[in-house]
Amino acid sequence: MLYDIGLKISYEYDRSASTGRHMLRMMPANLPGEQQVVSASLIIDPEVQERSELIDFFGNTAVEIAYRAPHEKIVFDLRCRVDRHAPERGPVASPSLQALADEIAAYDSLEPSAPHHFLGRSPRVRTTPEMDAYARLLVKPDMPAFDVMKAIGEALHRDMVFDSKATTVDTSPEEAFAGKRGVCQDFAHIMIACLRGIGMPAGYVSGFLRTIPPKGKPRLAGADAMHAWVRAWCGREAGWVEFDPTNDVLVQNDHIVIGRGRDYSDVAPVKGVMRTAGSQTSEQAVDVIPLT
Amino acid sequence: MAQQPRRVGDTIAGLLTSYRPLPGVADELLDKSGQVRPVWRQFVNHFLALSKEDVAQRFARGDQHLRDAGVFFRQYGKTDAGERDWPLSHIPVLIHENEWNHISDGLIQRAELLESVVADLYGENKLVADGHLPASLIGMSKEWLRPLVGVKPRSGHYLSFVAFEIGRGPEGDWWVLGDRTQAPSGAGFALENRIATARVFSEFYPAANVYRLAGFFQTFRDALRGLRNENDSQVAILTPGLWNDTYFEHAYIARYLGLMLLEGEDLTVEKGQVMVRTVAGLAPVSVLWSRLDAAYADPLELEEGSRLGTPGLVESIRRGNLTMVNALGSGILETRALLAFLPRIQALRGEPLKLSNIATWWCGQQAEREHVRQNIERMMIGPALSTRPPFEPDGKTVFGGRFQSETLETVESYIDAEGSMLVGQEAVTLSTTPAYVDGQLVPRPMSIRVFLARTANGWQVMPGGYARIGRTEDATAIAMQRGGSVADVWVVSDYPVQSVTMLPPEGAPYRRTEPGVLPSRAADNLYWLGRYVERAEGVMRLLRAYHTRLVETANEDAPLLKRLREHLESYDADTDECIPESLRATLASAIHSASHVRDRFSIDGWVALNDLAKTARQMVQTAKPGDDAARAMGVLLRKITGFSGLVHENMYRSVGWRFLSIGRSLERALTTAEALENFADPKAPEGALDLSVEVGDSSMTHRSRYAVATNRKTVVDLLVFDAQNPRSIMYHLAEIRDQAGQLSEAVGKGPASDFLRAVSHVHGALAALTPETLDTAALNKAGEAIAGLSDVLSDEYLT
Repeated sequence: MLYDIGLKISYEYDRSASTGRHMLRMMPANLPGEQQVVSASLIIDPEVQERSELIDFFGNTAVEIAYRAPHEKIVFDLRCRVDRHAPERGPVASPSLQALADEIAAYDSLEPSAPHHFLGRSPRVRTTPEMDAYARLLVKPDMPAFDVMKAIGEALHRDMVFDSKATTVDTSPEEAFAGKRGVCQDFAHIMIACLRGIGMPAGYVSGFLRTIPPKGKPRLAGADAMHAWVRAWCGREAGWVEFDPTNDVLVQNDHIVIGRGRDYSDVAPVKGVMRTAGSQTSEQAVDVIPLT
Repeated sequence: MAQQPRRVGDTIAGLLTSYRPLPGVADELLDKSGQVRPVWRQFVNHFLALSKEDVAQRFARGDQHLRDAGVFFRQYGKTDAGERDWPLSHIPVLIHENEWNHISDGLIQRAELLESVVADLYGENKLVADGHLPASLIGMSKEWLRPLVGVKPRSGHYLSFVAFEIGRGPEGDWWVLGDRTQAPSGAGFALENRIATARVFSEFYPAANVYRLAGFFQTFRDALRGLRNENDSQVAILTPGLWNDTYFEHAYIARYLGLMLLEGEDLTVEKGQVMVRTVAGLAPVSVLWSRLDAAYADPLELEEGSRLGTPGLVESIRRGNLTMVNALGSGILETRALLAFLPRIQALRGEPLKLSNIATWWCGQQAEREHVRQNIERMMIGPALSTRPPFEPDGKTVFGGRFQSETLETVESYIDAEGSMLVGQEAVTLSTTPAYVDGQLVPRPMSIRVFLARTANGWQVMPGGYARIGRTEDATAIAMQRGGSVADVWVVSDYPVQSVTMLPPEGAPYRRTEPGVLPSRAADNLYWLGRYVERAEGVMRLLRAYHTRLVETANEDAPLLKRLREHLESYDADTDECIPESLRATLASAIHSASHVRDRFSIDGWVALNDLAKTARQMVQTAKPGDDAARAMGVLLRKITGFSGLVHENMYRSVGWRFLSIGRSLERALTTAEALENFADPKAPEGALDLSVEVGDSSMTHRSRYAVATNRKTVVDLLVFDAQNPRSIMYHLAEIRDQAGQLSEAVGKGPASDFLRAVSHVHGALAALTPETLDTAALNKAGEAIAGLSDVLSDEYLT
């Protein structure tokens, strides 16, 4: 599937920022066998004084920019064409949670895709007794890890209400869980917390969702903004499987990947620090048009 | 029969009747047979020959030094952070150099081991791949900083300054209790303990063959300088700031070693180079001795919410432009569970550990968990990923089979549920050392923190250390958490030792060191210190005038008193309070500014300032309106002028001093203009002119300069135009102009300085007026122009 993607993020400052340094993770990823960026451009206004690229620990591309001149706003304008061709993936065979624990213990590596990074507390996600208990109720004895993931994803989709007014980008998963409302980021964080709580490695994926649904299918929720979903480790054999709890689907070609990490903080589209006395407002617009 | 003279043997015999080490516990002073160890003999003889009064006096001398030096202990209680006296146990711990050499050997081996482990964890990761370290322990730790994985330090080394907590076990051998690699503190405190203890034993210490500490610091400073990439780049200490409990130490070491003390916001990154914002613009920094937890060093790539860090710092390290001591991420080595694996990893290197660490079992392994369960009575069980030493437990800690804190669950279920997140550690019993309690020496448990620095010639061990002394005789390591004291550690040779100081050797070529660059934030704090102190003084003079007149007129509603009250209100000073809250707040602000620049500020000045604020606080309870309050202001004024005297007479005319001085002059010029606006106004009540002269501290001058009683012209002439009067506005504008010129030269701008131009303009405009043309409106305008200079100064130098 070929997509033309447009993303515009703008920040406006109350009072001008004298300097600023930002890290951007908004460009779709090149993933051999899954996804290829055909062409891309990222225009930043006003002009930056420094711009460089790096590949972070998890393999995501990050653009680092710096301003040394005062500025009242920043606009990031991304346009790209992406070929998404994730292989068809139905249910996969996977071990029980007990056997999964043994597989994890035997996994002698800290490579970026190793399960160990995705089990403990991460900057934005910690387990809580409430989410633990919620997840445990859904797990049947000897249930394969893949089924566990699906059961929890489905349950969250059922029990949570998609509500773009209920939370902000800084709402913690436990708060969103208590209110049973939120957006894709909250759905993903809660699902990650639930999975980690029962010993299943889980991470966060940021990306885009096609805006216009295929004929005869409903429009997916969250398509008018950047999207997020979950990846869970289902054992050495099956590896990582991606699931979108906001829409209760296994991730396939309607989803375009930007970055993968432990939680939102690893893949936030714009991270930044600036010197300014005032507050800021931001806006985001997304277009994901399928070409084929 | 004639009485025998008292012999040494008798005093020791006397000691031995009261000094009783616990059974099964090693003691520093006495060997197994109960004899005083040779290394202690001379010291004990010296000490026991002192009378109780003499001992008390000597201890007081040491304590006085610590108080004068401003060494305090910041305590985080349940209510608020307080400061209490530094808990020095005046009796040092004595260790013979042969034994010390053995300890040093073991610790150097351990430092090398840690270097190789951290290099592997951020590099090849072979230890995990080969199964010598569990991947989950590292992957779950928040100290393993992913952005630093694969980044080789520019210096080639991860560790350059480390500390080890050691203790002596019941069999007499030394154990490592914990590794400190993140930002080890205590070396500066060890130095202060030494100075204080040397004062206590001032006759004995110089000839006691005790190794000096200065050489260690000197060598390390040279090593830090050697890490720079360019010789003109800076070496600095990075501190989390004055709310940190060891901030005093950071400031102390910075001053002692002559290094800049910086906070994250002093720094900025340009094109991958860390720069410090100074009054002369940006200056490159290539070595940071960091006292900040690594996760907070860069909000862009590490802890997002950090307000202590510098965005871009990690990028600068990645590009090889900055050396951090220690490398960011070295804190992973402090992980408690690593102690379970280090002995084996060292054995793989071809020789076993020379000093064992305390036996540790990671409960993530079946057999180890079982062992912990079976031996639960002898275990301390706590979080595996904790980076605290064993005597500072955190989280839920099980000791001797019981939880340290109240909880409903059982120890069994805790071990089952938490498994891989727990370690069991053998409950260590420490050795005891003499402490002086209630007039006699008693044994108290102790552990020692030892410091190692990497130099051009390899690791050097500081010959001494920072000893913690337990509060009770309970010698289990965990008991050390419940408050106690600290002591100096003397490494004693059989022969005289070389005395090293930080001063250049006698006869060395004379060299003036280049004055260091002044960070903008430090300049800002010095400037505001000058302003706050001057503002406080001005308000004190106004209050004294108020209360004096209150006594004279006995009528609160007299027009002059009313106007004075309103004038004081413009400084938020409420005359209903004898010592207004706003005055105390101004003094607190002065202290706050001063505390940010402790490394640049004389200790006497610091003590004087704190004494002033304390006196003001105490007076709140006692002062009564009228005569009493006027006298109280007199006391405060004498103290504050004492402080100003100290600063202005004794402080080196550095760039920093110029900012302090500008602050003071600017505030004085401004408050004088404001006072005249109110009290030299033609409509001002009777007596206002005399009041202006009094508040301007110029009554005597007025009498001798003018043969007439005060009139508006003489008063304005004296307080505004008379360039010889150190209370006049023109005098202070000229002062500021001179300082502005010197500043501009010092930072290499020549005459091209905005601030210099602005001051000259204000000065010139005022000089063009006369007492006749300078009416109340013109005074108001002059005041505004003077206040506006602050922004110009700030824009040019302070941001």
